[in-house]
Amino acid sequence: MSNFIERPRYQCALGGALATINSIKRAAAIVHAAPGCASSADGAATAGSGYWGAGYCGGRATPSSNILEKEIIFGGESRLSEQIESTLSIIDADLFAVITGCMTDIIGDDVKGVAAEFQKKGDPVVVAETGGFKGTSSKGYEVIFEALITQYVKKGLPKNPRLVNLLGLIPTQDVFWRGNLIELKRILANLGLEVNTFLTPFDRPDSLRNASQAALTVVLSDVHGQRAARVFEEIHGVPFITAPLPIGPAATRGFLVQVAGRLEVGEKALDEVVREENSWYYSFMENVADIFNDLDLQRYAVIIGDSNYSYALTRFIADDLGWIPYFTAVTDLLDEDEQEKIKSRFENIAAELRPKVIFETDTSQIAARLKKDLASQANPYSSPISPAFVLGSTLDRTLALENKAGFLSVTYPVTNRLVTDQAYAGYRGGVRLVTDILSVLLSNR
Amino acid sequence: MSLLEDKVVPGREERAGACMAYGGTACGLGQADGACLKNQNRSFSQSGLCMALPVMGMLLTLPDTAVVIHGAIGCGSTGFGMNINNRLRQLQRGNLNARDGFWVSTNLTESEVIHGGEVKLEQTIYDTYKRFHPKSLIVLQTCAPSIIGDDLASVISRAREKLDIPVLAANCEGFKTKIWATGYDVAFHAIVHGFIESDKEGRPPRKQRRKEGERPQVNIINLASVGQPDEEEITRMLDAIGIDAYIGPNYGTRESIRNMTQADLTVSVCPTHDDYFVDYLQQEYGIPSVLKDMPIGLANTKSWLLDIAGHFGLETRAKAFIEEETAKVLEAVAVFRQVLEGKRVFLSAGEFRALVTGSLFQELGMEVVGVRSYHHDNFGRDYYDKLVEAQQGKDFAVDIANFQPFELTNLLRRIQPDIFIGHISDNVWAAKLGLPVATIFRIFDYYVGYRGFYEVAKKAARVLRNPAFNRNLAKNVDNPYKQEWYEENPFKYIKSGEVSSSVKAASQPEIELQKGAVQ
Repeated sequence: MSNFIERPRYQCALGGALATINSIKRAAAIVHAAPGCASSADGAATAGSGYWGAGYCGGRATPSSNILEKEIIFGGESRLSEQIESTLSIIDADLFAVITGCMTDIIGDDVKGVAAEFQKKGDPVVVAETGGFKGTSSKGYEVIFEALITQYVKKGLPKNPRLVNLLGLIPTQDVFWRGNLIELKRILANLGLEVNTFLTPFDRPDSLRNASQAALTVVLSDVHGQRAARVFEEIHGVPFITAPLPIGPAATRGFLVQVAGRLEVGEKALDEVVREENSWYYSFMENVADIFNDLDLQRYAVIIGDSNYSYALTRFIADDLGWIPYFTAVTDLLDEDEQEKIKSRFENIAAELRPKVIFETDTSQIAARLKKDLASQANPYSSPISPAFVLGSTLDRTLALENKAGFLSVTYPVTNRLVTDQAYAGYRGGVRLVTDILSVLLSNR
Repeated sequence: MSLLEDKVVPGREERAGACMAYGGTACGLGQADGACLKNQNRSFSQSGLCMALPVMGMLLTLPDTAVVIHGAIGCGSTGFGMNINNRLRQLQRGNLNARDGFWVSTNLTESEVIHGGEVKLEQTIYDTYKRFHPKSLIVLQTCAPSIIGDDLASVISRAREKLDIPVLAANCEGFKTKIWATGYDVAFHAIVHGFIESDKEGRPPRKQRRKEGERPQVNIINLASVGQPDEEEITRMLDAIGIDAYIGPNYGTRESIRNMTQADLTVSVCPTHDDYFVDYLQQEYGIPSVLKDMPIGLANTKSWLLDIAGHFGLETRAKAFIEEETAKVLEAVAVFRQVLEGKRVFLSAGEFRALVTGSLFQELGMEVVGVRSYHHDNFGRDYYDKLVEAQQGKDFAVDIANFQPFELTNLLRRIQPDIFIGHISDNVWAAKLGLPVATIFRIFDYYVGYRGFYEVAKKAARVLRNPAFNRNLAKNVDNPYKQEWYEENPFKYIKSGEVSSSVKAASQPEIELQKGAVQ
């Protein structure tokens, strides 16, 4: 790992918080920052996640104080107060989140104090300090959720034993977050559970407001959303489990067993859901079987993505698709503990199919390390990974080209696809992923 | 001061009297006091843009360059968006193995904000050089390192000594100016100082006078958002009157950029984009310039071409060419003119481009009913009147806004134009109101010259033929504004800022807009 980060595959804390707020229906951000911050974050979110677009109150519509030198010198609090006031009078939303950029955090504006004036009047305003230098989008997701959980979620509500909160998929950082959450909710609903996904186009702030009723929080990530889940537990007594993003029948079955084990879900109901969903998946695979075998569509796989996808994709490739995972790169900025957690996840994959796993943020270094590895395995005939396939971000297209590999962009940034309701999580997501991957291999026919 | 002498590029507020908040009409703007306009602000605002974005957009186009963004990890995250255009431009130029642009972030963290980021920056520069062996290296200074006092200038001067490639420096702290077009100046400043003034070989000598009979060589200043089609049309037009076009500095190499000092004339296609650089070439190399029109629309193309031809005594040839091309294109657009005649158009883009595109539509028999310009400066001052005159004195709404779609949405609901012409990122707001939209300044389309005249007319007519996507959208999605907002003056939130004691604050300009159209 180097001192700097090459073409970062994540945004800053502000970017993560902004994408999170803009994913909630009828929520609006009030960005207290220099004029380019919101647009820059939004530009990255939309270009990097399959053209998400401005939506309801995002993009250039994002309320922003656009502070300049004057505020840097004299403080930006009165400008923020003016901006909150005017935003409340013009923008039609149910929840407003004041989030900040580097400058306002450095000069030390008392944003919490300014927001408190509005909170006292009963305005639905939350506030979080999300200056970009505090970390990546993952940090922003944690900080804004912490603010929502402590300032917005109602306290003291009775528990609903069938209600589950899902955390751990960062909007736009998980390019397919909407589809994934919708698919997981669908499957869990079949188990008789109610699910708060918070961040799909169908989630309004009231689901957040009442989220303390949940009996369990499921964090779909070893890294993202962990802190938010802990805050949920501390403040509202909602326990949490970590169950990594499941893709395809093998992982999703394990996911359902784990969640059901913590809630009042009968074994019979669980078995039935697994059977039905599995049957759905294989009803389509039955018809894929011809071409998969006739054309020898098995590949060596190189997988590049954040801590959620690097493992989830590798597991799917190994256990469901029956490919050979060769090399997996985890691109998040992780501390040692987090790295250990991710490493131990890979131990769930049978030893003979376990890929080489590296932790590396920089695209060129991932390519260099793969190249070095391949050189050490060289033979007179062909590349050790031929025939190869790369699942990564659009940045990894070059690596795929160099290795004459098939290529599908799945992890942030994805600039060469339009993403709407596609899901890769769950059973239907598994079918979708098989379809998308194999379609690449058929595209010249 | 000038590009050569400025250590740090001044904001456009200072240099060009630019403002970014005005609401009213074209005639009203003409009478407004520039000093007052400059100080106008908004008490409600939506996200603007900072100069780091245009700077990175321009400098990432330099081939085999590495950009070091000194700042927090999110600054430069729009690199992915810029990289898309960059790749597509390479493909357009026939390079099938288009390379991704290369940038790194110094990832300034909490600890560096406290202890300073200079050491990290310096190390990043040398590591980046070692890792990629770029042909040039560019450092972008963002807000945070600037405010904690990182000394960019000394880091750069050491790097220039140690590295054998041009090192460019760009101070583009977003909080320093409200006019992001300042970023164009910053990029030109970085290019000139990196490739010419501080280059190892020193600046190229002044060129000898062009010999009798030699074809003139003319610099055409391009924009990162001008595509191959427009470059081809420019080259074709100039070639036809006997002039060689030399297009840069975007996408240019060190050598080709240095060679721009050897031209016989510098021609701008967008004065508000180019003047800082054009003035440099004029002052330091004695290269005269054409800096008043944009070759969009027939009249503008004509005067642009005649101005250029006039520098070389080629007017006769130019006139013949213009006459022939005009006749040809008028015949070709006749079929679209039937559809477009009498239609009411609203335009939104950078000021100069919005205005000249308005002229183009007037030439197709349409009426300009509104213009939203990203900022207003000296270059656009007289053009509003020109548009009003061209439509027999019919005034139109003007919104000077660094985006601010809340004003635009309010205005469009009142005005109900037949078609909206908008720059990328503007169009969705018109789309949500169900208006037919023709996007402008995509790199795949023609806008300039005769081909541009034809293609823009064709596109507008095509869009009007089936606006079903947007019409349906409007019935099914909402805008984020309260109903009351549409009853308010669209410019309610524009306020006069602090003005120096000698200047009286301007009162809110009166607007007369049709209210009947509000649904």
